[in-house]
Amino acid sequence: MSIPATLLKKLVQIPIFQGLTVPEAAEFFEVALEQTIEKGRTLFREGDEGDALYVILSGEAAVTKKGIELATLSTHAVLGEMSLVSPGDTRSATAAAKTDLTVLKIPSRRVQKLIKADHLAALKVVANLAQVMAQRLAAINDRLVGGDGKKKASDGKKEELADFASILNRWSF
Amino acid sequence: MTSAEAATWYFKKAARIMDVGERIETLLATPLRTVSVQVSIELDNGEIRTFKGYRVQHDNARGPMKGGLRFHPEVNDDEVLGLASLMTWKTAVVNLPYGGAKGGIQCNPADLSVKELERLTRKFVDQIHDVIGPTRDIPGPDMNTNPQVMAWIMDQYSRYHGHSPAVVTGKPIDLYGSRGREAATARGLLYVCREILRDVGQQLPGTRFAIQGFGNVGSHAARLFHEDGGKIVAVSDVHGGVMNPKGLDVPALFDHVKKNGTVRGFPGGAPCRNEDVLTADCDVLVPAAIGGVITKQVAAEVRARIVLEGANGPSTPEADEVFEQRGVLVVPDILANAGGVTVSYFEWVQNMQHVTWDEERVNGELQRVIKEAYEKVGQISRSRKLPLRTSAYVLAIGRVGKATVLRGI
Repeated sequence: MSIPATLLKKLVQIPIFQGLTVPEAAEFFEVALEQTIEKGRTLFREGDEGDALYVILSGEAAVTKKGIELATLSTHAVLGEMSLVSPGDTRSATAAAKTDLTVLKIPSRRVQKLIKADHLAALKVVANLAQVMAQRLAAINDRLVGGDGKKKASDGKKEELADFASILNRWSF
Repeated sequence: MTSAEAATWYFKKAARIMDVGERIETLLATPLRTVSVQVSIELDNGEIRTFKGYRVQHDNARGPMKGGLRFHPEVNDDEVLGLASLMTWKTAVVNLPYGGAKGGIQCNPADLSVKELERLTRKFVDQIHDVIGPTRDIPGPDMNTNPQVMAWIMDQYSRYHGHSPAVVTGKPIDLYGSRGREAATARGLLYVCREILRDVGQQLPGTRFAIQGFGNVGSHAARLFHEDGGKIVAVSDVHGGVMNPKGLDVPALFDHVKKNGTVRGFPGGAPCRNEDVLTADCDVLVPAAIGGVITKQVAAEVRARIVLEGANGPSTPEADEVFEQRGVLVVPDILANAGGVTVSYFEWVQNMQHVTWDEERVNGELQRVIKEAYEKVGQISRSRKLPLRTSAYVLAIGRVGKATVLRGI
């Protein structure tokens, strides 16, 4: 479907679509389909095959795992992005419409085709996705060792200076 | 590669050997402040001309920043930045309580009258007087600037801030200048040369020197090495050179230069080209002219066992590697020619304390400073098995780094 430029401009501000020019975004979203989901219906279930990525255009969706609500996502949030890089893997959580929901559905098979054809926009999206994943992984690692991701980042400078001081001590001037 | 680029290259090499990390490397390499001004003056014929002026202040962790001011048609901000950082490392190697800076005005002083130069200098001071000062940034002489230019800077700065002789060094002796300043760089070469010769089990008397460049550094070096019993076997300047394996008659050579303005044509030896001096048969080579003269090819043919870098950046990094492989000992510029800035520091100390030292005291203190710096660099070189240049940069980065850490960012 073709998407109006005003919406494209908003979409390229979403982290995983950052760096796309508006014409590139227009090409990329060419493969997208708009869907509406009534309040209470599910978008996908935990254990389903992951076959698409969704961008919420309006409304709210609840993400749950084993019945426990993990998050509420709203306009311009992205769901199911893992399916872009590992198509066929099962969904790790359930997403359902909390209100009436409008989403853009981007089938991962069609994105895979774009990637195979070295389509610049698709490659940019995958690169962004890798970055998002890396940040999440770092946050998980921090949580595992008992630290708080945000606090670590602001302490980094102090440690860097302390590391430098210990290098200078090792060189013993 | 310019001497500024070479300095940056050597800094990076040492920083990576120390493994300080990318962000600390950036912190140490980035200048504190870069000032760029347009200096407009009226020429004697009534025309208005606008010149570009720069002052780059690289690092002040160890103290007020210090560095020369040059007048040259090819002055640009990149080069000035490289040279400003070179001053940070140089002042740190000899442990002066200074940081590094450099400045310049893009002009050809040969095209300007003395009155025009004075107007240019004063106008430049008008535009930078609020960022320099005895406790901020202290300019000194460099390419095409002399004690008279320094006197104008002192005077112009003092109009804004009251009597301030310590705002600039390299002033005339009659206006708060220091005794021993003129020969200071060469004297530093002499002192460091005595130390390294002792380390290799040789004495200065009888040692054979080849000196490229016969300006302030080269000529005083020839005189001082000669007075100490050294044999000057080759000298040169831009016009040409002269060689004598038995040693040149140095007092007669000075008479010749006084009369003719060049060493070329001196009858006491065989004529040669300027570049031939670099590969002359000698024990110690003193490149004291311009940067970049010792390339990889030249380095392979150098016959000296020791290279004393009187100029800034005379050896390219490729040449430096050749020297390392061949076992030629290189006393790097940031140590070898630091005598100049050291006596500039003494001038500043005398000005700050309102006292005057005699030449004996200046030379004695200079010897102490150079000797200590050489010993420290030598220690690092031996314990870490690094060449003298890398060791000097390691020492400098260590000192600047410690001050930075202690003060906090």
